[in-house]
Amino acid sequence: MVEEISKITQLTIETGKTAVFVEKQLSDKAEIVIEAGARVKHYRLHENAEHALSVKIGRGASYEVVTLHKGNGDLTLSFDLAGEEAFCRSDVVYLLGGEEKSLISSDVRHNADNTVSRQLVKGAVTGKAFATFEGGVLIPYERKKIDGAQQHRAILLSPDATVKAVPRLEIYADDVKCAHGSAIGSLNQDQLYYLMTRGIDEADARALLTRAFLDEVFDSIEEDDVREDFRRLAVFEK
Amino acid sequence: MSAWLEIKDLHAKVGDKPILNGLSLTINAGETHVIMGPNGSGKSTLSNVLCGNPHYEVTGGSVEFKGQNLLEMSVEERARAGIFLAFQSPTELPGVSMSTFMKYALNARRKAAGEKELDAVSFMKRIKIRAQALDITDEMLKRPVNVGFSGGEKKRLEIFQMAVLEPDFCILDEMDSGMDVDAVKVAGSGVQIMRSPERSFLVISHNTKFLREQIKPDHVHILALGQVVAEGGAELMDEIDRNGFAGFLKEAVA
Ligand SMILES: Nc1ncnc2c1ncn2[C@@H]1O[C@H](COP(=O)(O)OP(=O)(O)OP(=O)(O)O)[C@@H](O)[C@H]1O
Ligand SMILES: [Mg+2]
Repeated sequence: MVEEISKITQLTIETGKTAVFVEKQLSDKAEIVIEAGARVKHYRLHENAEHALSVKIGRGASYEVVTLHKGNGDLTLSFDLAGEEAFCRSDVVYLLGGEEKSLISSDVRHNADNTVSRQLVKGAVTGKAFATFEGGVLIPYERKKIDGAQQHRAILLSPDATVKAVPRLEIYADDVKCAHGSAIGSLNQDQLYYLMTRGIDEADARALLTRAFLDEVFDSIEEDDVREDFRRLAVFEK
Repeated sequence: MSAWLEIKDLHAKVGDKPILNGLSLTINAGETHVIMGPNGSGKSTLSNVLCGNPHYEVTGGSVEFKGQNLLEMSVEERARAGIFLAFQSPTELPGVSMSTFMKYALNARRKAAGEKELDAVSFMKRIKIRAQALDITDEMLKRPVNVGFSGGEKKRLEIFQMAVLEPDFCILDEMDSGMDVDAVKVAGSGVQIMRSPERSFLVISHNTKFLREQIKPDHVHILALGQVVAEGGAELMDEIDRNGFAGFLKEAVA
Protein backbone atom coordinates (compact mmCIF):
# COMPACT_ATOMS: atom_id res chain seq x y z
CA MET A 1 0.00 0.00 0.00
CA VAL A 2 1.27 3.43 -0.93
CA GLU A 3 0.49 6.04 1.68
CA GLU A 4 0.20 9.73 0.83
CA ILE A 5 1.76 11.97 3.38
CA SER A 6 2.80 15.60 3.29
CA LYS A 7 5.19 17.92 5.06
CA ILE A 8 7.01 15.44 7.25
CA THR A 9 8.95 17.19 9.99
CA GLN A 10 9.66 14.36 12.38
CA LEU A 11 8.89 10.74 11.81
CA THR A 12 9.92 7.46 13.34
CA ILE A 13 9.31 4.15 11.65
CA GLU A 14 9.23 1.58 14.36
CA THR A 15 11.18 -1.64 14.58
CA GLY A 16 10.24 -4.17 11.96
CA LYS A 17 7.58 -2.00 10.25
CA THR A 18 7.21 -1.74 6.48
CA ALA A 19 6.03 1.43 4.76
CA VAL A 20 5.82 3.01 1.31
CA PHE A 21 4.98 6.66 1.17
CA VAL A 22 4.70 9.46 -1.32
CA GLU A 23 5.29 12.98 -0.14
CA LYS A 24 4.05 15.61 -2.58
CA GLN A 25 4.61 18.64 -0.39
CA LEU A 26 7.74 18.96 1.65
CA SER A 27 8.47 20.89 4.83
CA ASP A 28 11.67 22.92 5.19
CA LYS A 29 13.27 20.29 7.29
CA ALA A 30 12.49 16.64 7.92
CA GLU A 31 14.06 14.24 10.36
CA ILE A 32 13.33 10.59 9.99
CA VAL A 33 14.41 7.66 12.09
CA ILE A 34 14.20 4.17 10.69
CA GLU A 35 14.41 1.73 13.55
CA ALA A 36 16.00 -1.70 13.44
CA GLY A 37 14.70 -4.02 10.71
CA ALA A 38 12.16 -1.55 9.32
CA ARG A 39 11.83 -1.26 5.55
CA VAL A 40 10.80 2.02 4.04
CA LYS A 41 10.37 3.41 0.54
CA HIS A 42 9.92 7.14 0.36
CA TYR A 43 9.08 9.10 -2.81
CA ARG A 44 9.43 12.84 -2.73
CA LEU A 45 8.46 15.57 -5.17
CA HIS A 46 10.16 18.83 -4.49
CA GLU A 47 9.71 22.14 -6.26
CA ASN A 48 11.11 25.63 -5.82
CA ALA A 49 11.90 25.50 -2.12
CA GLU A 50 14.70 24.95 0.32
CA HIS A 51 14.54 21.54 1.84
CA ALA A 52 16.65 19.43 4.14
CA LEU A 53 16.15 15.76 4.87
CA SER A 54 18.09 13.81 7.41
CA VAL A 55 17.59 10.13 8.02
CA LYS A 56 19.06 7.79 10.55
CA ILE A 57 18.91 4.13 9.56
CA GLY A 58 19.10 1.45 12.24
CA ARG A 59 20.43 -2.08 12.36
CA GLY A 60 19.27 -4.24 9.47
CA ALA A 61 16.89 -1.52 8.28
CA SER A 62 16.39 -0.49 4.68
CA TYR A 63 15.54 3.02 3.50
CA GLU A 64 15.03 3.79 -0.17
CA VAL A 65 14.25 7.32 -1.23
CA VAL A 66 13.75 8.89 -4.65
CA THR A 67 13.56 12.66 -4.84
CA LEU A 68 12.44 14.71 -7.82
CA HIS A 69 13.82 18.19 -7.45
CA LYS A 70 12.68 20.96 -9.75
CA GLY A 71 13.57 24.60 -9.84
CA ASN A 72 15.14 26.97 -7.35
CA GLY A 73 16.02 26.18 -3.78
CA ASP A 74 18.67 24.01 -2.24
CA LEU A 75 18.21 20.37 -1.45
CA THR A 76 20.23 19.01 1.43
CA LEU A 77 20.26 15.30 2.09
CA SER A 78 21.93 13.49 4.92
CA PHE A 79 21.92 9.77 5.64
CA ASP A 80 23.38 8.13 8.68
CA LEU A 81 23.80 4.38 8.32
CA ALA A 82 23.86 3.97 12.08
CA GLY A 83 23.26 0.25 12.64
CA GLU A 84 25.02 -2.76 11.23
CA GLU A 85 23.68 -4.10 7.94
CA ALA A 86 21.69 -0.96 7.27
CA PHE A 87 20.89 -0.21 3.63
CA CYS A 88 20.21 3.12 1.99
CA ARG A 89 19.34 3.98 -1.59
CA SER A 90 18.98 7.69 -2.23
CA ASP A 91 18.32 8.56 -5.87
CA VAL A 92 17.68 12.06 -7.12
CA VAL A 93 16.45 13.51 -10.39
CA TYR A 94 16.83 17.23 -10.81
CA LEU A 95 15.50 19.55 -13.51
CA LEU A 96 16.44 23.17 -13.78
CA GLY A 97 15.68 25.72 -16.46
CA GLY A 98 15.50 29.45 -17.08
CA GLU A 99 17.55 31.35 -14.52
CA GLU A 100 17.10 28.76 -11.81
CA LYS A 101 19.87 27.94 -9.45
CA SER A 102 20.20 25.13 -6.99
CA LEU A 103 22.68 23.38 -4.77
CA ILE A 104 21.99 19.73 -4.23
CA SER A 105 24.11 18.23 -1.54
CA SER A 106 24.14 14.77 -0.13
CA ASP A 107 26.04 13.16 2.68
CA VAL A 108 26.07 9.45 3.22
CA ARG A 109 27.80 8.36 6.42
CA HIS A 110 28.64 4.72 6.96
CA ASN A 111 28.76 4.78 10.75
CA ALA A 112 28.36 1.02 11.22
CA ASP A 113 29.93 -2.12 9.78
CA ASN A 114 28.42 -4.10 6.92
CA THR A 115 26.41 -1.17 5.60
CA VAL A 116 25.49 -0.62 1.96
CA SER A 117 24.62 2.62 0.17
CA ARG A 118 23.54 3.28 -3.40
CA GLN A 119 22.99 6.64 -4.98
CA LEU A 120 22.14 7.57 -8.57
CA VAL A 121 21.72 11.28 -9.22
CA LYS A 122 20.63 12.43 -12.65
CA GLY A 123 20.09 15.98 -13.77
CA ALA A 124 18.81 17.79 -16.84
CA VAL A 125 19.58 21.48 -17.01
CA THR A 126 18.54 23.98 -19.64
CA GLY A 127 18.31 27.74 -20.25
CA LYS A 128 20.78 29.62 -18.09
CA ALA A 129 20.25 27.46 -15.06
CA PHE A 130 23.06 26.51 -12.74
CA ALA A 131 23.11 23.32 -10.69
CA THR A 132 25.72 22.15 -8.25
CA PHE A 133 25.86 18.62 -6.94
CA GLU A 134 27.98 18.00 -3.87
CA GLY A 135 28.13 14.32 -3.15
CA GLY A 136 29.70 13.21 0.09
CA VAL A 137 30.41 9.69 1.22
CA LEU A 138 32.05 9.21 4.60
CA ILE A 139 33.54 5.92 5.73
CA PRO A 140 35.19 6.37 9.13
CA TYR A 141 38.37 4.71 10.32
CA GLU A 142 38.08 1.03 11.33
CA ARG A 143 34.71 0.45 9.69
CA LYS A 144 34.51 -2.99 8.10
CA LYS A 145 32.79 -4.42 5.03
CA ILE A 146 31.44 -1.18 3.66
CA ASP A 147 29.91 -1.08 0.21
CA GLY A 148 29.04 2.30 -1.20
CA ALA A 149 28.25 3.53 -4.71
CA GLN A 150 27.51 6.99 -5.97
CA GLN A 151 26.93 8.02 -9.57
CA HIS A 152 26.10 11.47 -10.83
CA ARG A 153 25.15 12.15 -14.46
CA ALA A 154 23.92 15.38 -15.92
CA ILE A 155 22.97 16.59 -19.36
CA LEU A 156 23.23 20.17 -20.45
CA LEU A 157 20.38 21.00 -22.79
CA SER A 158 21.53 24.48 -23.72
CA PRO A 159 24.89 26.16 -24.25
CA ASP A 160 24.33 28.48 -21.26
CA ALA A 161 23.36 25.81 -18.75
CA THR A 162 25.93 24.85 -16.13
CA VAL A 163 26.38 21.89 -13.84
CA LYS A 164 29.15 21.63 -11.32
CA ALA A 165 29.91 18.40 -9.53
CA VAL A 166 31.88 18.32 -6.32
CA PRO A 167 32.55 14.83 -5.06
CA ARG A 168 33.59 14.58 -1.42
CA LEU A 169 34.78 11.11 -0.64
CA GLU A 170 36.22 10.66 2.79
CA ILE A 171 37.33 7.10 3.11
CA TYR A 172 39.45 6.34 6.13
CA ALA A 173 38.87 2.57 6.33
CA ASP A 174 40.44 -0.24 4.27
CA ASP A 175 37.73 -2.87 4.05
CA VAL A 176 35.71 -0.85 1.59
CA LYS A 177 34.13 -1.05 -1.83
CA CYS A 178 33.22 2.39 -3.06
CA ALA A 179 32.45 3.03 -6.71
CA HIS A 180 31.73 6.57 -7.70
CA GLY A 181 31.66 8.68 -10.81
CA SER A 182 30.35 11.84 -12.34
CA ALA A 183 29.77 12.76 -15.97
CA ILE A 184 28.34 15.93 -17.45
CA GLY A 185 27.66 16.21 -21.17
CA SER A 186 25.26 17.15 -23.91
CA LEU A 187 22.80 15.00 -25.78
CA ASN A 188 24.41 12.61 -28.24
CA GLN A 189 24.40 14.13 -31.75
CA ASP A 190 24.27 10.75 -33.50
CA GLN A 191 21.21 9.78 -31.52
CA LEU A 192 19.49 13.08 -32.33
CA TYR A 193 20.29 12.62 -36.01
CA TYR A 194 18.99 9.05 -36.01
CA LEU A 195 15.67 10.16 -34.47
CA MET A 196 15.36 13.05 -36.91
CA THR A 197 15.95 10.80 -39.94
CA ARG A 198 12.69 9.17 -38.93
CA GLY A 199 10.84 12.50 -39.11
CA ILE A 200 10.93 13.46 -35.43
CA ASP A 201 11.63 17.17 -35.03
CA GLU A 202 14.56 18.35 -32.97
CA ALA A 203 12.55 19.48 -29.94
CA ASP A 204 10.76 16.13 -29.67
CA ALA A 205 13.97 14.21 -30.28
CA ARG A 206 15.64 16.11 -27.45
CA ALA A 207 12.69 15.53 -25.14
CA LEU A 208 12.66 11.83 -25.98
CA LEU A 209 16.36 11.41 -25.25
CA THR A 210 16.09 13.44 -22.05
CA ARG A 211 13.20 11.29 -20.90
CA ALA A 212 15.17 8.11 -21.68
CA PHE A 213 18.10 9.49 -19.69
CA LEU A 214 15.99 10.27 -16.61
CA ASP A 215 13.99 7.05 -16.85
CA GLU A 216 16.97 5.10 -15.58
CA VAL A 217 16.07 6.42 -12.12
CA PHE A 218 12.30 6.08 -12.48
CA ASP A 219 12.47 2.57 -13.91
CA SER A 220 13.62 1.32 -10.52
CA ILE A 221 10.36 2.49 -8.90
CA GLU A 222 8.24 -0.63 -8.50
CA GLU A 223 4.93 1.11 -7.74
CA ASP A 224 3.35 1.83 -11.15
CA ASP A 225 1.27 4.86 -10.12
CA VAL A 226 4.17 6.49 -8.36
CA ARG A 227 6.50 5.89 -11.28
CA GLU A 228 4.00 7.47 -13.68
CA ASP A 229 3.57 10.47 -11.33
CA PHE A 230 7.30 11.04 -11.40
CA ARG A 231 7.54 10.63 -15.16
CA ARG A 232 4.68 13.05 -15.71
CA LEU A 233 6.23 15.69 -13.47
CA ALA A 234 9.79 15.30 -14.69
CA VAL A 235 9.40 17.51 -17.75
CA PHE A 236 10.18 21.09 -18.59
CA GLU A 237 7.06 23.19 -18.94
CA LYS A 238 6.77 24.59 -22.43
CA MET B 1 8.77 12.83 -67.43
CA SER B 2 10.88 15.03 -65.20
CA ALA B 3 13.27 13.28 -62.85
CA TRP B 4 12.04 12.32 -59.44
CA LEU B 5 15.40 12.43 -57.69
CA GLU B 6 18.15 14.27 -59.46
CA ILE B 7 21.63 14.60 -57.99
CA LYS B 8 23.86 16.90 -60.02
CA ASP B 9 27.59 17.37 -59.57
CA LEU B 10 27.41 16.86 -55.82
CA HIS B 11 30.46 17.73 -53.74
CA ALA B 12 30.71 17.09 -50.00
CA LYS B 13 33.41 16.96 -47.39
CA VAL B 14 34.03 16.06 -43.77
CA GLY B 15 36.29 18.56 -42.08
CA ASP B 16 38.91 19.28 -44.75
CA LYS B 17 38.49 15.94 -46.45
CA PRO B 18 36.55 15.91 -49.74
CA ILE B 19 34.57 12.67 -50.09
CA LEU B 20 32.03 13.28 -52.82
CA ASN B 21 33.65 14.80 -55.89
CA GLY B 22 31.05 15.68 -58.47
CA LEU B 23 28.55 12.88 -58.15
CA SER B 24 25.57 12.78 -60.49
CA LEU B 25 22.71 10.33 -60.39
CA THR B 26 19.09 10.32 -61.52
CA ILE B 27 16.33 8.07 -60.22
CA ASN B 28 12.75 7.97 -61.44
CA ALA B 29 9.68 6.99 -59.49
CA GLY B 30 9.25 3.26 -59.14
CA GLU B 31 12.84 2.39 -60.07
CA THR B 32 15.33 0.34 -58.13
CA HIS B 33 18.93 1.44 -58.38
CA VAL B 34 22.05 -0.18 -57.02
CA ILE B 35 25.29 1.46 -56.01
CA MET B 36 28.41 -0.64 -55.79
CA GLY B 37 31.93 0.53 -55.17
CA PRO B 38 35.07 -0.14 -53.17
CA ASN B 39 35.23 0.44 -49.42
CA GLY B 40 35.64 4.12 -48.69
CA SER B 41 34.38 5.27 -52.10
CA GLY B 42 31.64 7.40 -50.51
CA LYS B 43 28.50 5.23 -50.60
CA SER B 44 27.50 5.76 -46.97
CA THR B 45 28.51 9.40 -47.22
CA LEU B 46 26.10 9.89 -50.13
CA SER B 47 23.32 8.24 -48.10
CA ASN B 48 23.95 10.54 -45.16
CA VAL B 49 24.23 13.65 -47.30
CA LEU B 50 20.84 12.84 -48.81
CA CYS B 51 19.41 12.59 -45.27
CA GLY B 52 21.00 15.88 -44.22
CA ASN B 53 23.56 14.61 -41.70
CA PRO B 54 25.12 17.80 -40.28
CA HIS B 55 28.49 16.04 -40.10
CA TYR B 56 28.96 16.42 -43.84
CA GLU B 57 29.26 19.76 -45.55
CA VAL B 58 27.88 20.05 -49.04
CA THR B 59 30.27 22.26 -51.00
CA GLY B 60 28.68 22.13 -54.44
CA GLY B 61 26.05 20.70 -56.70
CA SER B 62 22.32 20.22 -56.28
CA VAL B 63 19.79 17.61 -55.25
CA GLU B 64 16.20 17.86 -56.35
CA PHE B 65 13.60 15.51 -54.89
CA LYS B 66 10.04 15.56 -56.20
CA GLY B 67 10.53 19.11 -57.38
CA GLN B 68 11.95 20.38 -54.08
CA ASN B 69 15.46 21.54 -53.30
CA LEU B 70 16.45 18.78 -50.90
CA LEU B 71 19.63 20.47 -49.69
CA GLU B 72 17.64 23.31 -48.14
CA MET B 73 15.50 21.01 -46.03
CA SER B 74 16.17 19.93 -42.46
CA VAL B 75 16.76 16.30 -41.56
CA GLU B 76 13.22 15.77 -40.31
CA GLU B 77 11.66 17.59 -43.27
CA ARG B 78 13.47 15.26 -45.65
CA ALA B 79 12.21 12.28 -43.69
CA ARG B 80 8.65 13.57 -43.81
CA ALA B 81 9.02 14.26 -47.52
CA GLY B 82 9.59 10.52 -47.88
CA ILE B 83 13.32 9.85 -47.60
CA PHE B 84 14.39 6.88 -45.51
CA LEU B 85 17.83 5.45 -44.83
CA ALA B 86 18.35 1.96 -43.46
CA PHE B 87 21.71 2.57 -41.84
CA GLN B 88 24.83 0.51 -42.35
CA SER B 89 25.51 0.89 -38.60
CA PRO B 90 22.30 1.82 -36.80
CA THR B 91 22.63 3.99 -33.69
CA GLU B 92 21.85 2.71 -30.20
CA LEU B 93 19.11 4.50 -28.25
CA PRO B 94 19.40 3.37 -24.61
CA GLY B 95 16.14 3.83 -22.75
CA VAL B 96 14.01 4.20 -25.91
CA SER B 97 11.99 1.18 -27.05
CA MET B 98 11.33 0.47 -30.71
CA SER B 99 7.59 0.90 -30.21
CA THR B 100 8.03 4.30 -28.53
CA PHE B 101 10.40 5.30 -31.33
CA MET B 102 7.90 4.35 -34.03
CA LYS B 103 5.03 6.03 -32.18
CA TYR B 104 6.97 9.30 -32.14
CA ALA B 105 7.98 8.90 -35.78
CA LEU B 106 4.44 8.21 -37.02
CA ASN B 107 2.91 10.97 -34.93
CA ALA B 108 5.55 13.46 -36.05
CA ARG B 109 4.42 12.92 -39.65
CA ARG B 110 0.78 13.21 -38.69
CA LYS B 111 1.41 16.36 -36.69
CA ALA B 112 3.23 17.93 -39.64
CA ALA B 113 0.32 17.01 -41.91
CA GLY B 114 -2.17 18.53 -39.44
CA GLU B 115 -3.65 15.14 -38.56
CA LYS B 116 -4.60 13.75 -35.16
CA GLU B 117 -2.28 11.41 -33.29
CA LEU B 118 -2.67 7.74 -34.09
CA ASP B 119 -4.85 5.96 -31.52
CA ALA B 120 -3.35 3.05 -29.61
CA VAL B 121 -5.28 0.35 -31.46
CA SER B 122 -4.41 1.51 -34.98
CA PHE B 123 -0.83 1.98 -33.91
CA MET B 124 -0.52 -1.54 -32.52
CA LYS B 125 -2.11 -2.95 -35.67
CA ARG B 126 0.33 -1.18 -37.90
CA ILE B 127 3.29 -2.35 -35.83
CA LYS B 128 2.20 -5.94 -35.27
CA ILE B 129 1.50 -6.91 -38.88
CA ARG B 130 4.86 -5.65 -40.04
CA ALA B 131 6.72 -7.14 -37.10
CA GLN B 132 5.25 -10.57 -37.82
CA ALA B 133 6.19 -10.40 -41.48
CA LEU B 134 9.81 -9.70 -40.53
CA ASP B 135 10.05 -12.21 -37.66
CA ILE B 136 10.31 -9.46 -35.05
CA THR B 137 9.04 -10.47 -31.64
CA ASP B 138 7.22 -8.33 -29.05
CA GLU B 139 10.27 -8.63 -26.87
CA MET B 140 12.41 -7.02 -29.59
CA LEU B 141 9.96 -4.12 -29.82
CA LYS B 142 10.16 -3.50 -26.09
CA ARG B 143 13.92 -3.55 -25.80
CA PRO B 144 15.90 -0.33 -26.21
CA VAL B 145 16.55 0.40 -29.88
CA ASN B 146 19.66 -1.34 -31.23
CA VAL B 147 21.08 -1.95 -27.74
CA GLY B 148 22.50 -5.45 -27.45
CA PHE B 149 20.97 -6.67 -30.71
CA SER B 150 23.01 -8.82 -33.07
CA GLY B 151 24.21 -7.27 -36.32
CA GLY B 152 21.60 -9.11 -38.35
CA GLU B 153 18.80 -8.23 -35.94
CA LYS B 154 19.66 -4.53 -36.17
CA LYS B 155 19.42 -4.69 -39.96
CA ARG B 156 16.08 -6.44 -39.74
CA LEU B 157 14.84 -3.71 -37.39
CA GLU B 158 15.87 -1.06 -39.92
CA ILE B 159 13.75 -2.81 -42.56
CA PHE B 160 10.95 -2.98 -40.02
CA GLN B 161 11.11 0.80 -39.53
CA MET B 162 10.97 1.24 -43.27
CA ALA B 163 7.88 -0.97 -43.46
CA VAL B 164 6.18 0.98 -40.65
CA LEU B 165 6.96 4.44 -42.03
CA GLU B 166 6.25 3.61 -45.69
CA PRO B 167 8.67 6.11 -47.22
CA ASP B 168 8.74 6.99 -50.93
CA PHE B 169 12.48 6.76 -51.34
CA CYS B 170 14.32 3.99 -49.50
CA ILE B 171 18.07 3.94 -49.25
CA LEU B 172 19.37 0.60 -48.01
CA ASP B 173 23.00 0.82 -46.98
CA GLU B 174 24.43 -2.71 -46.86
CA MET B 175 21.28 -4.10 -45.37
CA ASP B 176 22.37 -7.65 -46.28
CA SER B 177 25.70 -7.54 -44.48
CA GLY B 178 25.66 -9.39 -41.20
CA MET B 179 22.39 -11.16 -42.02
CA ASP B 180 22.20 -14.92 -42.26
CA VAL B 181 20.81 -16.57 -45.39
CA ASP B 182 17.28 -16.85 -44.02
CA ALA B 183 17.20 -13.32 -42.66
CA VAL B 184 18.31 -11.95 -46.03
CA LYS B 185 15.37 -13.74 -47.65
CA VAL B 186 12.92 -12.36 -45.08
CA ALA B 187 14.29 -8.83 -45.49
CA GLY B 188 14.45 -9.22 -49.27
CA SER B 189 10.81 -10.18 -49.42
CA GLY B 190 10.08 -7.22 -47.12
CA VAL B 191 11.62 -5.00 -49.80
CA GLN B 192 9.80 -6.75 -52.63
CA ILE B 193 6.43 -6.27 -50.93
CA MET B 194 7.11 -2.55 -50.72
CA ARG B 195 7.87 -2.16 -54.42
CA SER B 196 5.41 0.17 -56.08
CA PRO B 197 5.28 2.58 -59.02
CA GLU B 198 5.44 5.48 -56.51
CA ARG B 199 8.35 4.16 -54.49
CA SER B 200 12.02 4.04 -55.45
CA PHE B 201 14.97 2.22 -53.93
CA LEU B 202 18.66 2.93 -53.79
CA VAL B 203 20.40 -0.20 -52.63
CA ILE B 204 24.05 -0.27 -51.58
CA SER B 205 25.68 -3.65 -51.31
CA HIS B 206 28.86 -5.60 -52.01
CA ASN B 207 26.95 -8.81 -52.63
CA THR B 208 25.99 -9.39 -56.28
CA LYS B 209 24.17 -12.64 -55.47
CA PHE B 210 21.92 -10.79 -53.02
CA LEU B 211 21.35 -7.98 -55.52
CA ARG B 212 20.47 -10.34 -58.37
CA GLU B 213 18.21 -12.61 -56.34
CA GLN B 214 16.51 -10.24 -53.91
CA ILE B 215 16.74 -6.75 -55.40
CA LYS B 216 16.68 -7.23 -59.19
CA PRO B 217 17.77 -3.68 -59.97
CA ASP B 218 16.82 -1.59 -62.99
CA HIS B 219 20.09 0.35 -62.90
CA VAL B 220 23.55 -0.15 -61.46
CA HIS B 221 25.99 2.64 -60.67
CA ILE B 222 29.62 2.15 -59.81
CA LEU B 223 31.01 4.65 -57.34
CA ALA B 224 34.73 5.32 -56.99
CA LEU B 225 36.51 8.21 -55.30
CA GLY B 226 33.24 10.00 -54.73
CA GLN B 227 32.06 9.89 -58.35
CA VAL B 228 29.86 7.68 -60.46
CA VAL B 229 32.35 6.10 -62.86
CA ALA B 230 30.07 3.67 -64.66
CA GLU B 231 26.36 3.19 -65.17
CA GLY B 232 24.35 0.44 -66.73
CA GLY B 233 22.06 -2.47 -66.14
CA ALA B 234 22.49 -5.65 -64.14
CA GLU B 235 25.26 -6.74 -66.54
CA LEU B 236 27.69 -4.39 -64.73
CA MET B 237 27.57 -6.83 -61.83
CA ASP B 238 28.95 -9.58 -64.06
CA GLU B 239 31.99 -7.46 -64.76
CA ILE B 240 32.47 -6.87 -61.01
CA ASP B 241 32.16 -10.58 -60.29
CA ARG B 242 34.84 -11.32 -62.89
CA ASN B 243 37.33 -8.51 -62.41
CA GLY B 244 36.38 -6.53 -59.30
CA PHE B 245 36.47 -2.74 -59.47
CA ALA B 246 39.92 -2.48 -61.11
CA GLY B 247 38.61 -1.60 -64.56
CA PHE B 248 36.29 1.08 -63.22
CA LEU B 249 38.93 2.66 -60.99
CA LYS B 250 41.08 3.55 -63.99
CA GLU B 251 38.25 5.70 -65.28
CA ALA B 252 37.98 7.52 -61.97
CA VAL B 253 41.62 8.56 -62.01
CA ALA B 254 41.52 9.51 -65.70
N1 LIG C 1 32.53 11.28 -40.23
C1 LIG C 1 33.66 11.05 -40.93
N2 LIG C 1 34.84 11.52 -40.49
C2 LIG C 1 35.99 11.30 -41.19
N3 LIG C 1 36.03 10.61 -42.32
C3 LIG C 1 34.90 10.10 -42.80
C4 LIG C 1 33.65 10.29 -42.13
N4 LIG C 1 32.69 9.69 -42.83
C5 LIG C 1 33.31 9.13 -43.90
N5 LIG C 1 34.64 9.38 -43.88
C6 LIG C 1 35.62 8.92 -44.86
O1 LIG C 1 35.09 9.11 -46.15
C7 LIG C 1 35.40 8.02 -46.99
C8 LIG C 1 34.12 7.42 -47.53
O2 LIG C 1 33.43 6.77 -46.46
P1 LIG C 1 32.05 6.02 -46.66
O3 LIG C 1 31.63 5.52 -45.36
O4 LIG C 1 31.13 6.92 -47.39
O5 LIG C 1 32.50 4.80 -47.61
P2 LIG C 1 31.66 3.59 -48.17
O6 LIG C 1 31.73 3.69 -49.64
O7 LIG C 1 30.33 3.55 -47.55
O8 LIG C 1 32.54 2.34 -47.68
P3 LIG C 1 32.12 0.86 -47.17
O9 LIG C 1 31.96 0.03 -48.38
O10 LIG C 1 33.31 0.44 -46.38
O11 LIG C 1 30.89 0.99 -46.34
C9 LIG C 1 36.23 7.07 -46.16
O12 LIG C 1 37.58 7.31 -46.43
C10 LIG C 1 35.89 7.44 -44.75
O13 LIG C 1 36.96 7.17 -43.88
MG1 LIG D 1 29.39 2.29 -46.22
